[in-house]
Amino acid sequence: MADLSKPSMAWNLTWDAEWVTAVTFLGSSRRVAAGNNLGQILLWELPAKAGGDPPKPVARLDGHINVISRLTSSPDGKTLISASYDHTVRFWDVPENLPAATEPLTLNARMIEDTTRRKSNGAKVPPAMEAKVAVLKSTRTFNEHKEWVVSLELSRDGKTIISGDDGGHVLIWDRDSFAIGKRWQVKGWANAVALSPDCTQACVSERYPLVFDSGRHAAVKIWDAAKAEVFKDLSAEYKGMFFAAAAYALDGKTLAIGRGGELDGMNGSVTLIDPASGKKIRTLAPGHLSGLTDLAFHPDGKHLASSGRDTVVRVWETSSGKLVSEVGKSRGGQFKDWICALAWSADGAWMATADMAGAVQIWTFPG
Amino acid sequence: MKGVAVTGTGLVLPNWGALAQAKSATEAAIKNKKRCIMLWMNGGASQLDTFDMKPGRPTGGPFRPIASKVSGMPMCEYLPKMATVADKLAVIRSMKTQSPDHPDGIYHMHTCYKMSERTPHPEIGAVIAKYNGNPDSDLPSFVRMGSTGNGGAGYLGPLYEPFGIGRDGKLGSFTSPYLPEEGEKKRADLFRFVEDEFTSEHKADPFASHRMAKERAWRLLRAKSVFDSSKDWPKAKERYGDTEFGRGCFMARKLIEAGVPFVEVGQENYDSHADNFVCHKANMQLLDPAWSGLLLDLEERGLLQDTLVIWMGEVGRTPQINNRAGRDHYIRAWTVVLAGGGIKGGQVYGSTDVDGKEVKDNPVSEGDLFATIYTTLGIDSRAKHYHGVRPIWLTPEGTGPVKELIG
Amino acid sequence: MKLITCLILTSLALTSSVMQADEPLRGVIDRELAAGWKSKNITPAPHSADAEFLRRVFLDLVGTIPSQDETQKFLADADAAKREKLIDRLLADPRFATAQADTWDLVLFGRNPGNADATRKRDGFKIWLAKQFADGVSYDRMVRELLLGEQPGSEMFQVQFRSQPEEATVLVSRIFLGTQLQCARCHDHPFDRWTQKDFYGMTGFFVRVVVQESSSGNNKAYTLGEKSTGEVLFSGAAKDQGPGKKGEPVKPKFLGGPELTEPVMPKDFKEPAAPKNGEKMPKPAFSRKEKIAAWVAAPDNPYLARAAANRVWAQFMGRGLVHPADDFTEQNPPSHPELLNAMATGLKSHQFDLKWLIREIVNSRAYQLSGTGSLREALPTSFERARVRPLSAEEIMAAMRKATGYDAEGKTPANLGNAGNEYFMRYFGEPTNGLGEFQGSLSEHLFLNNGEHVRGFVRRKKGNLADQLLVSNDPWEQRVERLFLSVLSRPPKPAELTKFTEYLKSDPKPEPRLEDAIWALLNGSEFRFNH
Repeated sequence: MADLSKPSMAWNLTWDAEWVTAVTFLGSSRRVAAGNNLGQILLWELPAKAGGDPPKPVARLDGHINVISRLTSSPDGKTLISASYDHTVRFWDVPENLPAATEPLTLNARMIEDTTRRKSNGAKVPPAMEAKVAVLKSTRTFNEHKEWVVSLELSRDGKTIISGDDGGHVLIWDRDSFAIGKRWQVKGWANAVALSPDCTQACVSERYPLVFDSGRHAAVKIWDAAKAEVFKDLSAEYKGMFFAAAAYALDGKTLAIGRGGELDGMNGSVTLIDPASGKKIRTLAPGHLSGLTDLAFHPDGKHLASSGRDTVVRVWETSSGKLVSEVGKSRGGQFKDWICALAWSADGAWMATADMAGAVQIWTFPG
Repeated sequence: MKGVAVTGTGLVLPNWGALAQAKSATEAAIKNKKRCIMLWMNGGASQLDTFDMKPGRPTGGPFRPIASKVSGMPMCEYLPKMATVADKLAVIRSMKTQSPDHPDGIYHMHTCYKMSERTPHPEIGAVIAKYNGNPDSDLPSFVRMGSTGNGGAGYLGPLYEPFGIGRDGKLGSFTSPYLPEEGEKKRADLFRFVEDEFTSEHKADPFASHRMAKERAWRLLRAKSVFDSSKDWPKAKERYGDTEFGRGCFMARKLIEAGVPFVEVGQENYDSHADNFVCHKANMQLLDPAWSGLLLDLEERGLLQDTLVIWMGEVGRTPQINNRAGRDHYIRAWTVVLAGGGIKGGQVYGSTDVDGKEVKDNPVSEGDLFATIYTTLGIDSRAKHYHGVRPIWLTPEGTGPVKELIG
Repeated sequence: MKLITCLILTSLALTSSVMQADEPLRGVIDRELAAGWKSKNITPAPHSADAEFLRRVFLDLVGTIPSQDETQKFLADADAAKREKLIDRLLADPRFATAQADTWDLVLFGRNPGNADATRKRDGFKIWLAKQFADGVSYDRMVRELLLGEQPGSEMFQVQFRSQPEEATVLVSRIFLGTQLQCARCHDHPFDRWTQKDFYGMTGFFVRVVVQESSSGNNKAYTLGEKSTGEVLFSGAAKDQGPGKKGEPVKPKFLGGPELTEPVMPKDFKEPAAPKNGEKMPKPAFSRKEKIAAWVAAPDNPYLARAAANRVWAQFMGRGLVHPADDFTEQNPPSHPELLNAMATGLKSHQFDLKWLIREIVNSRAYQLSGTGSLREALPTSFERARVRPLSAEEIMAAMRKATGYDAEGKTPANLGNAGNEYFMRYFGEPTNGLGEFQGSLSEHLFLNNGEHVRGFVRRKKGNLADQLLVSNDPWEQRVERLFLSVLSRPPKPAELTKFTEYLKSDPKPEPRLEDAIWALLNGSEFRFNH
């Protein structure tokens, strides 16, 4: 059993083409996929044991043309699903045996470019980190969104998808047939969309991010997913707060929501809620300075991880609210860097984080 | 006595009050003078996310350009309505200015002078009020809504000071007198007597400012129905968008039509040091219908050729996207847009380099911009004034109008 | 005649550049200003009339106007030293402390302070501040206490900087050191010598300050704690920020002075656990807050005395010798350098006793010049006429109450209600343009014309001015005289007497006319400004 109180970095996977914005493990495999601000997706195969040189990516997934906002995979690890600002959700069949690696890739291209430019000022140009990757094309594209798709989640059984966009549209749809079960529109933009494990309930945070204007809007509501009706409106309790992330625990008995956005979430903390009543269970402190970005329950059902704009991931014990560990540490400076997203491996012993500075970190929790 | 107004000199005149309906000779004369609406993007809108996009470049960001009615003038996908009125716009992509922060930038882009000089320069609204306003109007000559300028009337004096009204165009509190009109008048005359006695020996400027503000308050009260937009708004909001800013733009059109020479409408929320794209996306969705609606409305009423509509803020935003997903202040290369009022539309003036970091050609300074604005409004941009004994010109020495922009 | 004497004295004094050690400062003030007038060929305004002086010094020292009674007594007093005696009396008046507290509260917080939720209500702070003035606490000690924030009430000054140590740097430098540092926050100062390192060096002193909040019911209480660790991390100019850029810790550095030397913390040091609600944080192993407080408030701090002297001068004379009062730079030299030196030196040798400095300034002939004349500047650059300043919102409220007898004598003042206070703050709070000059606003006059709050002052109410004048059987002429004495602290001029008497007699029912009369005087420039 993993000891979540002792994180240790297994590898730092450099990929500095742009901000890394999304990350996921593929099922219970050793594969990790990450996406970036340009719409690129890379795939890595992780060695079984930590240590040694960081593994190089093995495949590039071409198709998106704008920011990857969310990545997830089917439980069997064979299908990768990606949501993007290009208004699409794409599906990728990732075969056991990848095609031949043909495309060269420089993983630290930006660093080389920057240091070369500043060479006269004494900057050191690092050696190129070269890789060769296979190229995969997406197999299917879901086109029902007409705006940035900002959130997406696949149900535990892998059959149903919920997705939300900046037009305020929330769609619940079948992963295979794309048949739309329910759709509704909220005021403003639909962020932090999450689906309960039994697919009966959804949490949606609404937002229209003006600062000094009466048109400003922020709300968080629990929806009856079958009726597409509001089940509990939590806005009164969380007045004016913007929640950047939401996630249901595996047993569906806890809903976690996290405040985000620098303007809204100066100290973005996680709140645990009983989804049956909408009542607050507890707030997890401390919050993420400058806002929280992502939330993921640990497969053991007892822990939750949160990432933020303070370059930190925190692992919490949900029953006590205790902070179990801090993964990574704040990078400092007057202005903070973000961990944009995080993901647990299926066995709960590994964690992947998407770092805006152009890297994926793989953490392990040796027992 | 209903329908009697009092001018700044205390003279009682026949009703100029309901100027919207009045058909007096004075009004006819003033109608020949051009007016101006300034849409003030408080905090500084991003040129790279609106009118000078750099798709595919590291500075580009997630927005995508769409083609507009004018070839060579693409604009952001979140300004689709503006794309349909591109033929009216002169997009200046080569603003190169000097004041990088808010108070100084707001001052500089309202006066075309540096704040650090500490000379009280008048804001553009006060200048236009002075030169193109009707001195006999009961309406304020310089109206503004929302966050706007910080310079006031400066050396032009209290007569041209801005009158702030609600962002939605509504008048503020205390605009309903509790005294009957006759009682108001008696009291006002007694006040004037008191003031005359005091100022016969005391000449400091604040006393004149105090008196002028009082007189203007009385005149305004007689003309306040002009500000009531409750009847027209339900229909207008379809065009302008049902937002505070949209309503402000609609109110600006109404006031211009009623003879106010200058109206400024502030739109907030642009200072996106963090989450620039989220901020700009939300802002543009309010801006697009309001601004395009204003231009079309003015055109339909035959007012656009005599009404200059300026779109600008105090700074542009950095091409580099910082690590808060923000863009900071940038003054080396940014964008201002003009339309109507004799401006030659359908053109892009000046350009920036591939990443939007530097002006490539035809740089335009604050002074050049203001000289262009004043010239197209029929105001001598080198008009000379005095502050104490010191001569001051409306625009700084060495600057001048951009002729290509004027039709 | 007095003027001539003054000029002769000046020319005599000019021949000797050495200042006499025991010369009262008021003499230096008059000598230095006269020298300035002479060199610029300026004729100053005449000496103020008694009534003019009376109202001015009341507002400046105790924040309100004199009562009708006080005015009559002062005007009738034949004592040649009555002005000096009045000044002494007002300086000893309890209202002096509260009025100066209002003034300094505005200096320290402005109308829109940071951490608004916590700083909106700061009655406790004002009480603390007033106590400093009432007890005659020296300025350097007061500054030290403001920076330490350990006395109940005083903590509020630093509470406004909660989690924003950079704001503390900006405000502390500006207010106490007369130095504008805010430009150096994002880039090295373009026009001055300050760099980002200076800015973040100062910020290092504030970065460990923690604002603790404890609540009992609706009342939140704040205390300041300080951690033993924590650094300002500096990562260069704002324009050069990029993802992955790491910050380097910056050592605390006194502005224009040395870096702080501090003991090295043991490697295994751990911050103690956060205290429970109501418990105070333990003192840090080494307090940077104490160091900055001691440095800023040290009598020999190179900026402190000059900045304070200049600010107090500006408070009473309208503009600083360095103007704006908090912008000391090489490009902005003082208009009267010798005078500034004398005030700063005097302040130090008088143990930073602000009351001493105020006493000297208001006793000077320069302060007591008339407000009449053709000069249009509100704040004359050579101080050749009394400055004209709008009353603050607090003064307007107090003066209107006093003028109209709103509060019956000897009773606790009635509450205007929060709404009333808020309106006054909104409409009279910031009546200036960006350059600090008065701008009359339409909204102010709409409020004065149509607001029930102002009407409440002029309307007849048992015992108030309107009531007193209406129940009186005296001839209207006498009642008009009382009206003027009460509102404008002077008797009416003949034309005014005639006009007002006629006005009040013109209606068989005098009550509405009397309301008008009081209103007209309250609305005039003479009432609106201190001149």
